[in-house]
Amino acid sequence: MTTDINHILIFKTNIRTDCDKLRIQQILDTIDSIQQWNIDLHDVDRVLRIVSDALTPEQIISVVKCHGFECTELE
Amino acid sequence: MFSNLKWVRTRNADKEQLVKQKAIEMLVEDGFQDFSMNRLAKACGISVATLYIYYKDKDDLIKKIGVTIGKNFFSEMMKDFSPAMPFAEGLKKQWENRSRAALKYPKEAACFEIIRHSAHGDHILKESLKDFKSSMGNFFHNAVSKNELVPVSTEVFWSVAYGPLYTLLRFHSEGKSIGGMPFKFSKKTMEESLRLVIKALTP
Repeated sequence: MTTDINHILIFKTNIRTDCDKLRIQQILDTIDSIQQWNIDLHDVDRVLRIVSDALTPEQIISVVKCHGFECTELE
Repeated sequence: MFSNLKWVRTRNADKEQLVKQKAIEMLVEDGFQDFSMNRLAKACGISVATLYIYYKDKDDLIKKIGVTIGKNFFSEMMKDFSPAMPFAEGLKKQWENRSRAALKYPKEAACFEIIRHSAHGDHILKESLKDFKSSMGNFFHNAVSKNELVPVSTEVFWSVAYGPLYTLLRFHSEGKSIGGMPFKFSKKTMEESLRLVIKALTP
């Protein structure tokens, strides 16, 4: 299945370690309206990439921040 | 009331091509460890977000670039070649195709080597080499069964059949041979080496 590029949301975060990733995974995996997500731990911006046709960037940011991480949208 | 209105993104083939080109250059110049999506985006004059629209992450980008280069190279190597060719003729075609590709796309060749020796190497070879590998295997077995090639192990065959060619191409890309002598790859040098290789491999 190909992803509609207008449903991709990109954020800069400070999610750094596998342990951090595990913490955020426990939350993101439970949100049904997220079709797919991944974090690039190998790159400086620790980019969180979310595929969702329903959520707004603000909703993602508040979820991530709520769990103690920084998160800003990249446009 | 306009909060749901968003800029509609469209794919831009020129931009995607530029990203590939710049990524290849950066991987060759700075190596694998120093490569970053942030710097790549800057070099391309696009935002980091745009880069992550095209590629899931850094690994995804490197894998895709590796597979693209691999597929291009292997299609270059298969030009006018058939595994059923007589051995000497087929090997000559391989030398011609391989040297042409290496001289025409030096950056891609260097980048492919870097990615091939990284953690992504296996994935890239599996994805891009499938058909090529079986074709080369058939060429080898046909030649042995027609008694046009001495039966040796794959490793011995490869090192004798292609080792000299890749050594000459390396000299060429470095611009010098052993002892720092200036060197340029030529058809004459290639044919001279190939003659010796065929002589060594003929029963």
